[in-house]
This record gives sequence, structure tokens and C-alpha cells, in this order.
Amino acid sequence: MNKADNTSKNGIDFSTVLASSVHDMKNSIGMLLSSVETILDEMKPETPEQERHFHTLHYEASRINGELIQLLTLYRMENGFLPLHIDEHFPLDVIEDQVARNQLLIDTSNIDVTVDCSPDLAWYFDTDLVGGVIHNVLVNGIRYTRQRIHIAVREEQKHLVVSIADDGDGFPDDMLVDPANRVFEASLSEGATHLGLFFASEIARLHKQGEDRGRIALMNGGALGGGEFRLILP
Amino acid sequence: MATIPYHKLRVLVADDFSNFRSTVNRMLLDLGVVNVDMASNSEEILELCSRKRFDVVLCDYNLGAGRNGQHVLEELRYRGFLGPRSVFILVSAEAGRNIVMSAYDSAPDDYLMKPITTRMLYNRLGRLLALKHALEPVYQALDRHDHASAMDTLIDMSLAEDRHSTAAQKMLGELFLQQGEYAKAENLYKRVLEVRELDWARLGLAKAKHLQGDFDQAGQWLNKIVEDNYLYLPAYDVLADNCLAKGDSRAAQEVVQRSVDVSPMSILRQKNLASLATRNHDPATALEAMRKVVKLGRLSCYGGEEDGREFARSLAALLEEGEVPPIAIVNEAFSSLESLAENNTELLPEQRAQLLYIQCRVRAARGERDVAGELLVQAELGVTVEDSDIDTEVDHIRALLCLGYEQKASELLERLQELYADDQEALERLDEFLDEPASEANKAIVAEVNREGIELYGQGRFSEALACFDRAVQLFPKHIGLRLNIVQALVGKLKAQPEDDEALRLCRESLETVAAGIEEDNAQYKRFLQLKNMARALHESA
Repeated sequence: MNKADNTSKNGIDFSTVLASSVHDMKNSIGMLLSSVETILDEMKPETPEQERHFHTLHYEASRINGELIQLLTLYRMENGFLPLHIDEHFPLDVIEDQVARNQLLIDTSNIDVTVDCSPDLAWYFDTDLVGGVIHNVLVNGIRYTRQRIHIAVREEQKHLVVSIADDGDGFPDDMLVDPANRVFEASLSEGATHLGLFFASEIARLHKQGEDRGRIALMNGGALGGGEFRLILP
Repeated sequence: MATIPYHKLRVLVADDFSNFRSTVNRMLLDLGVVNVDMASNSEEILELCSRKRFDVVLCDYNLGAGRNGQHVLEELRYRGFLGPRSVFILVSAEAGRNIVMSAYDSAPDDYLMKPITTRMLYNRLGRLLALKHALEPVYQALDRHDHASAMDTLIDMSLAEDRHSTAAQKMLGELFLQQGEYAKAENLYKRVLEVRELDWARLGLAKAKHLQGDFDQAGQWLNKIVEDNYLYLPAYDVLADNCLAKGDSRAAQEVVQRSVDVSPMSILRQKNLASLATRNHDPATALEAMRKVVKLGRLSCYGGEEDGREFARSLAALLEEGEVPPIAIVNEAFSSLESLAENNTELLPEQRAQLLYIQCRVRAARGERDVAGELLVQAELGVTVEDSDIDTEVDHIRALLCLGYEQKASELLERLQELYADDQEALERLDEFLDEPASEANKAIVAEVNREGIELYGQGRFSEALACFDRAVQLFPKHIGLRLNIVQALVGKLKAQPEDDEALRLCRESLETVAAGIEEDNAQYKRFLQLKNMARALHESA
């Protein structure tokens, strides 16, 4: 992505204006989300209909929240204001945190999430950024899977491989090739911008060891027969 | 993971929304925590923490108007209300560390992103408290000032290759550096770096070099660190110290300026920038930085009434240079000065005198000589030179100079050199007003720079020699020997390249400056005349 001169003829930098309103929106959504969770906690749904509405409310709010955070992170990345804190962390911690964060969503969607990761496996990465990627993939997976999501972490040829697999219909074929760059081709009419994949790929690329950089991969027919997302870090 | 005795924990939950407080309280109850206090603003947090030791503080970043969670954390540490065993978690609606760049200065133990769930809280608390628990023998050894056994325990933990070894390595490295075990620190950081290029280990290694006096190597590494990760603030701090250790205060200012550009909210860096800019005779930068210090100081434990005076001092210095700063800033500084002077009942006599001297300078620079003269007399009556302190007397000297009382100023300088004969730091403060430094440290700097410059001159590297003398003359503008060295280097340069107009001009200007200050009985007078003749000959041939 090239840093473009976004200053309009009125002297307003439109991307900065957008970023600051995204920031505001995100705070509002955050409040909305926590209100929804309090309501869900205090007033159990009485009919399946109510439960479905609550679920939609919660799911859509989390999705907006996640997308706004992605946008802000990308904005900061492009303007060189994204601090990178790579240190030794335990992937299991990050995954447990993200599963815990989405527990309500997982429960209300009746999905079975399993994790296969050694508690002793340590790796070098930025825990906030990688946590954000896992969160997005997880929320997305909850939408497209049927019953199960399986998160597996292992070390493979000196790389950390985090794979998140579901038992849904899998990704459309055209997404499997060069998924990170699909964001530019995807038209709004397709209904999806694939911003999440671009985000995940950029975060992966920030992780380097020598010349080697992190990347993402998509495949079908993974561990659970559906789609599988992989985050591969050096 | 060790079992955490949740029923014994003392927890403080702070947020301006009661909704959030009760939600978290309910989650804590689920975990078995019974001892929970609540606070809704920064005052309440500080008050509670002053009376009671908490094991865990869960504090929201937003606490309504006034101070935020980061301010509170800084103040808790500053006042010693938060021991190393306590866990401080900053909660916010924003993604992790990104919320505040200045978090590098006083980092919380962890961040939690809203919305929080019981499970998330349980995961984080479990991990953090397990780490504190594992470090308990280290804390106990440090409480006894038994550094040797603290190090031994940390070495064992570092080598264990478990969840706590990274934390132990970081702590051990700091402890080695603090105890002067530089070789051991270097080994530790090198071992970490063999596996992965981590910023904290690179910085640690550079610090070890810096502390051992290898400023060139340290500087090279530090520059590389900020080049690779220009948001990594602690590296700038060490780099600035490293420049100062090399005697290059202008480079130090540049480095601090870069760190302030990255993190404008850091009051301590703004203060450091102002003090370096003042030292480098750059009052415009000092004024701008002090303005921010005053503003940030309203909410920070690092703000103080001294900041208002320093803000006004930089205004006076700028006005004296004949510069016209933006009127809004002038008014701001001026009204802050006036209000400081009005509310002076709590001030010590020296502080009151400082204010009067600064007011005197500002008035004089605005052309109000009569008022300025009265303020000077008032200040001098308020405190005698003998009962005063060096800060006040430096203000005194400047006030005398701004009114053109050269004779009185030089008499005062002589008296102060007698009074502070045993106080090297005070003498350093006087050096900028003197022909030759009075303090040992500054004598050494001049000697070192001279040695370096003369060596370069001897090798015919005139431009580099000039840069060297230039740097020193910034620090000691009245030093005649240095000025003459500059002339001599310029003469050398002109002999090699006679058509250098810029050098000719500089040469003439330097000679004029010396001519204005040198007396015939000066030991350097003969040299001055020789150089003047050489310069004239060159000028005529050009």
C-alpha cells in the first residue's frame, strides 16, 4: 500500500477524518456491546425467537467492533504509528483469551470449540496484534461453521503454525489463491471486502526473522472437512 | 500453575461507570474474591491506595474528566503506593498497548480490553499472580538488599525455560546493570539475542556498553535500534544520555526532540527537551516544550510550581534574543508568570526573588526599563547573595545583564565563585557567563574538545576541527581560547581554499566577537593579533 496524499482541496486529510470517526464509532460500539452482554446476562431469553434476536445483536456488534479495530490498526500501520512489541509469549494464552472473549457468542451459537496447543509451546510475536487476528478469524468461523471449530497450534520447520478449522462449506475457490490481496479486487457487490484477510496478512508480515516473514494461508478440506485458516510465523 | 488464593486477595476496581464496577465485582465474586474495594475517580483511587495495600488494581483508562488510568499508575508508583508485588491492570475499550505511547514510561503489568468476561479475567489474573508468586523469593531478597541471592534465584529462573524465564531474564539484566555487573549483563543479553533480535535485549546490550563508557559502540547500536523501531521510546532516552556523555548536547536535544515527536504526552521528555534546549541556547524550542510541560503538569505527578517559572525563563531568554514568539504563547507565559507572582504567599524568599528577576527580564525585553529596574531592586532586597541559592543567583546575573549592568554582573560572578568554591555543580551553572570555565567538569570538556580539535587540525581536517570547536563554543560562548581556535581552523581552511566566501565571513565575525571581549592584558592577546593579521592577509589576497 502506498502512502497517498489524501489531502483534499479543502485541506482536509480525509483518511485522518475517517480514522478519528472510526475511533468514536468503536467506542460507541464497545459500550453497546457491553450493554448487550449485561442484558443477556440479566435477562435470559424466553423464546427461541428472542434468543435468535439477541444472538444477531451480539454477533453483529462484535463484528463491527472487530472491523473498526482492524481499520484503525491498518490506519496506524500505514502512517507508521503502530507500535510492534515482539516478545516471547505462549500461544495457548492468546488463544484461551480469545476464546474467553467470545465465549458468549460461542455458547449462543451452540458451537463446539476445541483447542489443541501445548501449554509449554512458546513463540515470538506481538500478542495484541496476533490476538486481534485470531479474534477475527474466530468470529468469522462462528458465522460459517456448522457445529465445530478446531484451533491447533504446532511448530513446523522452525515456524509457528496456528490453524483454525471449521466444518462449514469452506472458502470459495477463487479466495484460495493469494487471499491477502483479494481486498483490492473484491467489489462491494460481492458483499465482502476480505479486509480481514488483508489485515491478517499484514500483521503476519510484520513478524520477521532475518529475511523470513510471516504469512497466512487458506485451504479447504482441513481438519474438520471445512475451511481452514493458517497463520504462519517465523 | 500455582493455585491462587482468591479468597485472600485484596482487589480494587476503578471505573467511572458504576455499571462496569458492579459487573467486574460480580465476576470477581464468581472467582471467590471477597475483598473488593471500588473507586470512581483518580482521587478515590489514590486515597484508597494510600491507606491500603492492594494485590490487584483493575483500573479503567477513562476515569472521566481529569486524570486517566495512566496518570494514576504513574502517581501510584511515584508515591510508592504500588509495591512490586502488586498487579496493576489497565482496562480500556482500545486494543492493548496502542492506547498510550507513553505507557513505555510506566507500563502496567497487563492490559485488558473491554468487554471483559469472567474467563478472561480468570486467565489473566491467574498468569500474573503466578508470576508474582514465582518471583516472591527475589522480592524477599531485594527487600533485604541481598542482591547476590536475588541474582542467584533469577539465574535459576532464567535457565528453567518455563513461562517465567523471560520475565526473570529481563529483571536479571536490569539488576546486573544496576549493580555494575556489566560483563554478566552483556552475556545475558547476547544469549537472548542469539535466538531472536528482541528490542529489550538490544537495548540492554547497548546500555551495558554505555555504562562501561564505550559511547561510540553504544551510540551505533542505539541508532540502529531506533532506526528499526522508531516507536521504541526507551532507546531514545539512553541514546540522549549517550550523546551527552560524549559532550554533544545538540545531538542529545535532537534525539529527545524525536522521542517527543513520537510521544508528545510524556512530561518528563518534554522537560528534558526544554532543559537541553536552554543549555543549547535555543529558547524557542525551550519555550514550546515548557508550555507543554505546564499543561501536562496539571494532571501529572511530575508537574510542579517550578515549571511555571521555567516557562517564563524561556520566554525571557527568547525575548532577549530579539525574537518575537507567537503572541498567544507570550500571553500564556506572561499571565502564568503574573499569576505565580500574585499567589506568592506560600513561596520561599528565594523563589519569590526568582520570580521578580524573571519578571524584570521580561519587562526589560519589552522595553519597560523603569519597571524592570524596580523589580530588580525589589528582588535584591528580598534575599541577599549569601542567603540565596544558585538558581536564584543565576536569575540575578541574567537580570543584571539584561539591564546592561555588566560591571555589577561580573562583581556578582566573582562573589559567587568564592561562595560556591566547593560546589562543582553550582560552578558549572556559572561557566556560561565566564571567559574560562570555573568547574572541573567543564574545564575537562573544554580540554578534551580542544585536544580532539587540535588533533584534527594537525591532520589538515579543518572542517571536522571546526565542527568540534563549534560544539564547545555553544557551551561556553565567552571562551576566548575556543573562539581563537575557530579562527585558526578557518585560516587553515582558507589557505587550502582561498575562494571560500562563507569561511571568510565566519572568520571575520569570530574575530569581531573576540575583539569585543578581549583586554590587552589577556594571555591570548598576542595570539589574537597574529591571527587577525593572518586573516587580513588572506582576505586581501582573496
